[in-house]
Amino acid sequence: MATSSEEVLLVVKRVRQKKQDGALYLMAERVAWAPEGKDRFSVSHLYADIRCQKISPDGKSKIQLQLVLHTGETTNFHFTSESSAVKDRDAAKDLLQQLLPKFKRKANKELEEKNRMLQEDPLLFQLYKDLVVSQVISAEEFWANRVSMNSVDHSLINSKQEVGISAAFLADVRPQTDGCNGLRYNLTSDIIESIFRTYPAVKQKYGENVPHNLTEKEFWTRFFQSHYFHRDRISTGSQDLFAECGKLDEQGLKSMVGQGVRNSMVDLTSLEDKSLDEGYGISSGPSTSSHNKTLKENSNAAIIKRFNHHSAMVLATGLRKQDAQNEQNGETSSTDGNSKDSDFFQPSVKKVKLQEAIEYADLEQENGRKPVALNLKKSDRYSHGPTPVQCQQYATSQDIINSVNCIRHEIADYTPRLTQVLSSSTASTAIAALSPGGVLMQGGTQQAINQMVPNDAQCELKHLYVAAGELLRHFWSCFPVNTPFLEEKVVKMRSNLERFQVTKLCPFQEKMQRQYLSTNLTGHLEEMLQTAYNKFHVWQTRRMLRKT
Amino acid sequence: MASDDELSLLVIVVDVNPIWWGQQAQREPEFTLSKCMDSVMVMSNAHLVMTRSNKLAIIASHCQESHFLYPNKHWKAGDFAGDESSCGSRDGKYELLTVGNDLITEEIKNLMERTEVRGQQTETLLAGSLAKALCYIHRVTKELEAGQEMKSRILVIKAADDSALQYMNFMNVIFAAQKQSILIDACVLDADSGLLQQASDITGGLYLKVPQKIALAQYLLWVFLPDSDQRSQLVLPPPVHVDYRAACFCHRNLIEIGYVCSVCLSIFCNFSPICTTCETAFKIALPHAMKAKKKKLKPTT
Repeated sequence: MATSSEEVLLVVKRVRQKKQDGALYLMAERVAWAPEGKDRFSVSHLYADIRCQKISPDGKSKIQLQLVLHTGETTNFHFTSESSAVKDRDAAKDLLQQLLPKFKRKANKELEEKNRMLQEDPLLFQLYKDLVVSQVISAEEFWANRVSMNSVDHSLINSKQEVGISAAFLADVRPQTDGCNGLRYNLTSDIIESIFRTYPAVKQKYGENVPHNLTEKEFWTRFFQSHYFHRDRISTGSQDLFAECGKLDEQGLKSMVGQGVRNSMVDLTSLEDKSLDEGYGISSGPSTSSHNKTLKENSNAAIIKRFNHHSAMVLATGLRKQDAQNEQNGETSSTDGNSKDSDFFQPSVKKVKLQEAIEYADLEQENGRKPVALNLKKSDRYSHGPTPVQCQQYATSQDIINSVNCIRHEIADYTPRLTQVLSSSTASTAIAALSPGGVLMQGGTQQAINQMVPNDAQCELKHLYVAAGELLRHFWSCFPVNTPFLEEKVVKMRSNLERFQVTKLCPFQEKMQRQYLSTNLTGHLEEMLQTAYNKFHVWQTRRMLRKT
Repeated sequence: MASDDELSLLVIVVDVNPIWWGQQAQREPEFTLSKCMDSVMVMSNAHLVMTRSNKLAIIASHCQESHFLYPNKHWKAGDFAGDESSCGSRDGKYELLTVGNDLITEEIKNLMERTEVRGQQTETLLAGSLAKALCYIHRVTKELEAGQEMKSRILVIKAADDSALQYMNFMNVIFAAQKQSILIDACVLDADSGLLQQASDITGGLYLKVPQKIALAQYLLWVFLPDSDQRSQLVLPPPVHVDYRAACFCHRNLIEIGYVCSVCLSIFCNFSPICTTCETAFKIALPHAMKAKKKKLKPTT
């Protein structure tokens, strides 16, 4: 049965698996099933191995729970209790739902990482296939070097960034009509979090009222019903829970506006919205005082005020987090955005900013430092090429005169005789020299080797080289052999190399020979392996000598 | 239509160093400058006949000047009726070829007549000729109609030896050609030329040292007549291994590992505390590990 240290969290009787009656046991680290009347578990899965669970849909007659493992295997449990099958199944499912996530992350990550690496790098995948699948080397050795490289990156990835709030989060809560004059709002935890972060007043109300006075559902229903939420906030002195929030918001907005923007470069008060009429642009007349405003203007102003307030609150949440981290004295006011600005615009900074705005580096006078001049003493050395000074064929002046006269005479009588330029014998010797195999074509045949060997043979050779390279790397990294671990590894690698030669290299060679390819494609590989063997042999004899 | 064809311009730079050719005439009478010019004419005719839109230019590279043998400044294609002596084609040849050949003959005769004996100027002005060729190509490119494209290449037929003094200019020409995607092919008659090997390597052209000079025409037609697009379909001599080693500034020896001054970039084979070109002082610190090791050994021994 279960080991004594295992804590059994849930036992469900009357569970069938593979048409056998039994009981399902959910323990601290694994789920197991034992047939009726037997002591030993016939099915046992660690939570770490389970990828996910599935349940049969509600309408079906068979009430089942399926466990899907990482390896793809599935195990089905059929709950057969007449009275409480669904309850049993749901209880099991809930418990698994709680337990699985805890174990999921540990195993998954490594395996996922490995899978990802194999998928991303086809060369690595090929190497894996060549070495591990064909059992030349064990999987642990293969991953030993590689996984360590990646664990470093993970620690960097883990430091997450805070997710910001979308300004449209309230608008995204799109209500759906319920069929009969009602609206259905779908609230996710994300939206709730956004509302709380943006409107701390609402969070406060929530904290006060739930769960003492209202349930969560009722709270949110009231929220959406209240005028606080709606477009036109006509503050009727109702017994609305959120009327206070409305007042707080107004106060907050007033104080924000009152503080103004402490950026001396920006003057917000010079901007004013004075329109002639709706849609008619700006008028230069005196600004209308508040009692002249029409009702429409008033409601427009209210909406605009709400928009501004909402945006300000959304921005403030981002800054609030930062400030909370920066300052030790927690409580930040609602004037978050401005405090940063005011720090920023100390007089010195302001001066620098003004300077930057005025001056342009391009328009300044050139006053750069003079670079050091290059002082070449013998610059004619450069004009002489890399040709060694050859003693030229010395021509005496008499020779020169003779040659010139000779050539002049010759050319003075020159008439082209184009039909007698070439005799057939000379032409054919020239052609012979230029044909493949001729005197002038000697260098060409060496290039043809990659055309002589078929493509698949080339690919296979490449894979062999990569695999051999990997094994040899492991082998050579063991030297100098200092620890007993390295000794074992060296011996193992040597046997791995031999196995590689026998299982991969020799068949390839034979295949090449069968195809009548005379080129020795594997000579270099064999040489490398032989060097490794020799080194091992030398090391081994030395070890024997040392021992005796 | 002609406008759809890509124009192909071939510029042949022939080394007509009179001293070398004069000596060659005495060494090997069966292959002289006349034969060489005949071969060049055969090749140029072949090029013009390959496609109607092909263009040609021939430059003679002399030790006193670089002179255009073809086309003539005063002659325009189609202007046949100018001269009485040239009464059209005598042997049924395409008129353009006849006129071209006559022109080349006349020009080379004039050029050789103008040759003066000057002791100091014995080297072929190859860098200058190549520069002229590049300028000509540039000019023709500018004169193309809108929408026409042109591919150009330069064929250098070299006889005399490299001139070390022209190195800088040569390299500038090579890189300019590379920028303009102009191939430089090289057909070398006598001694291997490092500069031309570099030129063909950098620009993507072909380098060939001709084993038999009398078969020059055959080599020209086989190797250098096809243009770069066609060359990829043909089996041609493989590229030569180019020696890119630098020569040290002090002895002019070719070195593989050397010291470079970080100020003036001059190359030396040995370390010297002062760079002789720019007079900057350098220090090389001795490796401290050696000193420490020595100290450690002492107490144990």
